[in-house]
Amino acid sequence: MNFDLGPDQRAAAAGAREFYRGSASAAAARAALDGGAVEPGHAALAGIGFLGITVPESAGGAGSSVLDLAVVAEQGGAVLAGPSLATAARAAVLLADHPGLAARLADGSARFAVLDGAVTGSAPSVDAAGATLFLGLDGGDLVVGEGEAEPGRPIDATRGLASVRLTSREVLAGDAGELWARARRVAAVVLAAEDLGAADRAVALAVDYAREREAFGRRIGSYQAVKHLLVDAWVGVDQLRSLVWWAAWAADAAPGELPLAAAAAKAYAAEAFERAAETCIQVHGGIGFTWEHDAHLYWRRAKVDRLLLGDAAEHLDAVARLAVAGALG
Amino acid sequence: MDFDDSPEEAAYRASVRARLAEHAGELVHAGHGEEAVDPGTHQAQFRHTQRVLAEAGLVGVTWPREYGGQGGTVVQQAIVAQELARARVPVLINHIGLGMCGPTVIAHGSQDQRDRYLSRLLRADDVWCQLFSEPASGSDLAALRTTAVRDGADWVVNGQKVWTTLAHVADLGILLARTDPDRPKHAGLTMFVVDLHAPGVTVRPLRQMVGSAGFNEVFFDDVRVPDAERLGEPGEGWRVALTTLMNERVAIGGAGGDLGVPVETLAAHARERLPALDAERQVLARQAVGRAVVAALAARYTGYRRFTVLSHGGLPGPEASAGKLAGTAAARLVADAGVRLLGDDAVYAATADGDDTWQRSQGYLPGLAIAGGTDQVLRNILGERVLGLPPEPRTDKTAPFAGGRR
Ligand SMILES: Cc1cc2nc3c(=O)[nH]c(=O)nc-3n(C[C@H](O)[C@H](O)[C@H](O)COP(=O)(O)OP(=O)(O)OC[C@H]3O[C@@H](n4cnc5c(N)ncnc54)[C@H](O)[C@@H]3O)c2cc1C
Repeated sequence: MNFDLGPDQRAAAAGAREFYRGSASAAAARAALDGGAVEPGHAALAGIGFLGITVPESAGGAGSSVLDLAVVAEQGGAVLAGPSLATAARAAVLLADHPGLAARLADGSARFAVLDGAVTGSAPSVDAAGATLFLGLDGGDLVVGEGEAEPGRPIDATRGLASVRLTSREVLAGDAGELWARARRVAAVVLAAEDLGAADRAVALAVDYAREREAFGRRIGSYQAVKHLLVDAWVGVDQLRSLVWWAAWAADAAPGELPLAAAAAKAYAAEAFERAAETCIQVHGGIGFTWEHDAHLYWRRAKVDRLLLGDAAEHLDAVARLAVAGALG
Repeated sequence: MDFDDSPEEAAYRASVRARLAEHAGELVHAGHGEEAVDPGTHQAQFRHTQRVLAEAGLVGVTWPREYGGQGGTVVQQAIVAQELARARVPVLINHIGLGMCGPTVIAHGSQDQRDRYLSRLLRADDVWCQLFSEPASGSDLAALRTTAVRDGADWVVNGQKVWTTLAHVADLGILLARTDPDRPKHAGLTMFVVDLHAPGVTVRPLRQMVGSAGFNEVFFDDVRVPDAERLGEPGEGWRVALTTLMNERVAIGGAGGDLGVPVETLAAHARERLPALDAERQVLARQAVGRAVVAALAARYTGYRRFTVLSHGGLPGPEASAGKLAGTAAARLVADAGVRLLGDDAVYAATADGDDTWQRSQGYLPGLAIAGGTDQVLRNILGERVLGLPPEPRTDKTAPFAGGRR
């Protein structure tokens, strides 16, 4: 057994950290709430090749694994970057047999979003605002088309959520239910990886503050009520990392384990990230409740992500059904 | 990243499995759907089981060969643990000796002590216990009051230990005692190996909340311990104890083993019981089962990450405490889901056919959140040593122990 990242993955994570720190930030996520651009934005992500990480080399991608993508996505999550790499990962699965479209995904010449729900009026879907081509499931067929996107008023403006009605439709594949399910699971894993990065950052912000801030003549981190809150949030992040790595690894190396691992990772991410973000605000006290502070931007992301691609209740139910059906071996 | 055995590991696993099959008839087995076998009442079988396994080369896998170990790797050790669990061999009678006392003797004992004790420990010729906690010092271990006073070639020990697991069957123990009350509390301690059959030692079993006698009170009245039985230098007892405690947290939930009932058992139980519930109840039960499975898998895979570090030669760090904390919480969710699925039987201590798997686990877990560092103490350790948060202000660290207490 070797349950750790390899040297190449560590290097990729370090490179991604540098790129994302230079091109996205909680401040940008705040500005996006007032109509600013989502950073780093679609073009920058295409430019650095992150949209094609799991696209085959023959279609102009890097031909890398979902795990390779997940370690990059974690770094994006830490600075609340958008668009989500979950969208690219999901589209890459759906376009596996369509190299022409996959090439446009990787080089950024088309902006893809994947629709949840009916293509005649979708559920709020990630990165749909601003997308130029939409992938959807229409009566068992995988379809691609153009559409009209209607965004709602965002809690987290970096997710690009919008409901979409397709205005054109071309069938890419029939009987696509299984492919669709796999793509959604891969997306759930990558979203969980972004949540991991964001939750880790939220805990780190709170820990840093608790080490400095004083009350009643002591640093607040020395009070157990604060310390134990932070430890519980940190333990949640540490446990989440294990599930995210396992699920991301399974996507390529053990597809039979993916349904269980992806559902477990997404369910755990929803709650661990929410706890981290709420702890971050609580530990900061009043300043944590201000618009200027970064804490609410992590909180916004947590409150939205927990409901995307299936909420915890859906995934816990899936885990139970799979376990009962023998998925644990 | 991979979760498979290498070819050498697979060969080793096959040989372990073959050895276990060969000796199956000589080993105690934990049955399914019956009361757990108690090492206290089945001492002879438990000692025999460990001896057979030791002779088959399956005990002390990582210990040096010169002390009767196998000189193997932590990976081989883990494979043996997995195969023992698979063969439903219950926890070895000398688990405290193997997990904590032995490693402490290896690290701090004299050559003579290692020669005399270690191979006997592996064969369960001697069963060991850990004599640390006292009525007034559990979490605050360094506040202990049992004294050892030098008298010629011996030390004379007086005092009381409590919650001592296995003392009622043990032959030997490692004892932490105060040898210099005029020094600050951590500095005045010394570790010894004591003979539980020596004159002046009285062991009184304590009944645990679930009914069985797992731990004890141990009284020392003028017990003479030869100076040759000291472990480490006088006044160095705290440092020696830290070796023991570090090994303890790895032994409990540090490296991928499930605490409590394995989640596979919960899945099988749910398969059997879910259909008996009405539809609305099934929805709720699946939420509870799903939550328990997710928590248990998260703890298991986090253990695999720690284990990977250990198998590459890394040392167990303070984050091992997170394994016990998360593993205990997960085990509670698993036990609770399991009990609830029992329906009407959940209010009894066993089902009509005598299966007490779930009730027993439920009753054991409160102790797990206390033994080997309480949940709160573990959070303090993680907060201070992993997150770098400031410690609480303390007044007891520098003052002479005697001055602070009497
Ligand atoms: C099943 C079982 C087996 C055991 N086996 C052994 C054994 O073999 N050998 C041995 O030496 N001991 C053994 N113990 C004892 C165990 O190590 C102690 O019970 C444990 O360390 C707690 O100490 P205590 O019981 O004195 O509780 P206390 O230390 O008095 O704690 C009481 C409560 O106060 C909390 N508390 C204490 N200090 C702090 C703090 N600084 N911050 C926050 N909260 C705090 C605790 O978390 C707990 O909730 C065993 C215990 C159990 C339950």
